[in-house]
Amino acid sequence: MGSREFISGPNFSGRSRAVHARAQGYGVPTYFIGPYAEAALSGLSSTIADEIEIYRAKDHPADRPRFRAVVTDPRRKPQTLSGGEQVLLALHCFSLSAYRALAIDTALEQLDSANRGDALRYLDANSSFDVVLTDNRARPPNWNCTQLIASGTRFICNWDGLRGKLRPQHAPAVAIQQLSFGYRSGQDVFSNAAVALEPGRAHRLFGPNGSGKTTFLKILVGALVPRSAQITLDGVAYEPWRSGNRALALATQNPDQQWCGATLREDLARRRAALANRGDADALADDRVAELARDLGVPSLDQHLYELPLAARKRISWLWPFSGAHPWIMLDEPTVGQDDETCRELARTLEALCGAGYGVVFVTHDDAFASAVPHRVLHVEDRRIS
Amino acid sequence: MTPNGAIVFTLVVVLAAMMSRMSGLIVLYLLCTLFAVIEVGPNATAALRRAVILMVPLAAFMVLVWVGVVGRAPADIAASQPGSRVSALVYVSIVCARLFLIVAIVQIAAMRFAAITPLQFIQLLRAPIALKRLGVLTLSLIETLLQAVDRAHTALIASGVITRRLSARNVFNGWVLVQTVWLTAITSVTGRMRDKWPMEHTLKLLDPLLAEKRKDPLRTPDKIWISCAAVAVVGIVWGDFYGLP
Repeated sequence: MGSREFISGPNFSGRSRAVHARAQGYGVPTYFIGPYAEAALSGLSSTIADEIEIYRAKDHPADRPRFRAVVTDPRRKPQTLSGGEQVLLALHCFSLSAYRALAIDTALEQLDSANRGDALRYLDANSSFDVVLTDNRARPPNWNCTQLIASGTRFICNWDGLRGKLRPQHAPAVAIQQLSFGYRSGQDVFSNAAVALEPGRAHRLFGPNGSGKTTFLKILVGALVPRSAQITLDGVAYEPWRSGNRALALATQNPDQQWCGATLREDLARRRAALANRGDADALADDRVAELARDLGVPSLDQHLYELPLAARKRISWLWPFSGAHPWIMLDEPTVGQDDETCRELARTLEALCGAGYGVVFVTHDDAFASAVPHRVLHVEDRRIS
Repeated sequence: MTPNGAIVFTLVVVLAAMMSRMSGLIVLYLLCTLFAVIEVGPNATAALRRAVILMVPLAAFMVLVWVGVVGRAPADIAASQPGSRVSALVYVSIVCARLFLIVAIVQIAAMRFAAITPLQFIQLLRAPIALKRLGVLTLSLIETLLQAVDRAHTALIASGVITRRLSARNVFNGWVLVQTVWLTAITSVTGRMRDKWPMEHTLKLLDPLLAEKRKDPLRTPDKIWISCAAVAVVGIVWGDFYGLP
């Protein structure tokens, strides 16, 4: 009978270390699914078919059922899958492997509620392997639970101070019409989609894993070029893929996908230089940004970003959106890796931002977090946004 | 055809292309056309398209330098002859024809295995396992770098440092993109090596996967194509000896 262990605790209480220690304690190689691509995928494969082949074992335990495959195109690059799809692929690979133990570090938070339910049921129903899990959202009943407590005083946030420093904004109304987009080697993600985003409100992009939520954000900041789209800001045509992004501050799902430098100071200097070309550089005065960074738990702008723990990197990834550089704020899965208290404070901050005139768009599978932010739901499904 | 056969055939053609003059190149072009038609079929057009895309900028640059600026072929310069733009154009044409052949045969040979995945290609190779493991890790590194380029590109566009389309800003901030790609790649690799691989012993999974499945390194079609290429090499050397152009 395989053991089931749940590691619980707030951020920076040593949950990831505990997961690693528990996995070592199994005394056998343990399949690991971490929160982002580097930790969910083997990194040895160029296609999904190869990723599966690497883990497929001849001596696969007969009593272990397969976790369903969700991706239909086996030649697709696994790194191009959405975060949730990567986790589902990793679970599928594990179910075909010979590993007798599984360690999951906050990865299930990226799954939509249906997929998360499937994943937890799969883990619950199979006794042929050991599992150690840490997760901020799911708490499986009947598992052995190890409760950790916060240690030290690192990365403590001053949320009230942060909210007190928010600059007022006048976000323009965003109208998107006839949005069509498809990746070169795949099906259309959007086909004639239309949506209007209202300033001073929060909007939740809601849909199953792989439905195009992150793609939508990438189009709005100009990182992807749609096949067709008419986007306007307060009625004025806006083509960020042509003229550059000048309205939307994006905090990506994986914070390491948004840095422009090795240190916070370097990152901000480059962003500020990009804004200087448009004449609104004063939005990011060094002193004010340093104070905001302190409020988000990072005491110095000279902090090397990659030396911070993942949860702290995720928090500091909100610095740019909260600094007031752009009137629209877009947060992709902001609660991944964040404990309940941080989620509550983040929800209050988003509400305050809306009150200050910003427009907010967020993607989350965390219903508890979403319910704490007054918002309008935008369903992303079947190539439409409704 | 086997991967080993394709690699040997490609190497022989590349070697022959490097040592051949115009007449030799014509023979090699005929051989490669035959190879493309018989072994690859309609997919060869995609390989040729890629080769053209790779070669056109280089050809344009060479024409600009040798025909436009220098105005003489290197042989004219070496012989202290006045030379002409026509001789420079002939020289550029031969060099470009040679390079195009090399690029095209590599692409055509790769296209021969388009139906299988990179891992399956390495699995089918008959080679020491250490070499095959190195092949997988090299592919892994290439994928990591490609992914890092995509991530860094997205990060810098979203922050306004560069734009999606061509712009002066992209030229000025090109070095930022290079630095960001490098940082992203290092972070990905270290993340993988710190968390995932040690816990899973992931690299150990490669050994049974890459174990030899075939006993014969070359099959009959391989031997036929390699023989044809070898005959072409002999012909080129012979033609060179008797002073064919």
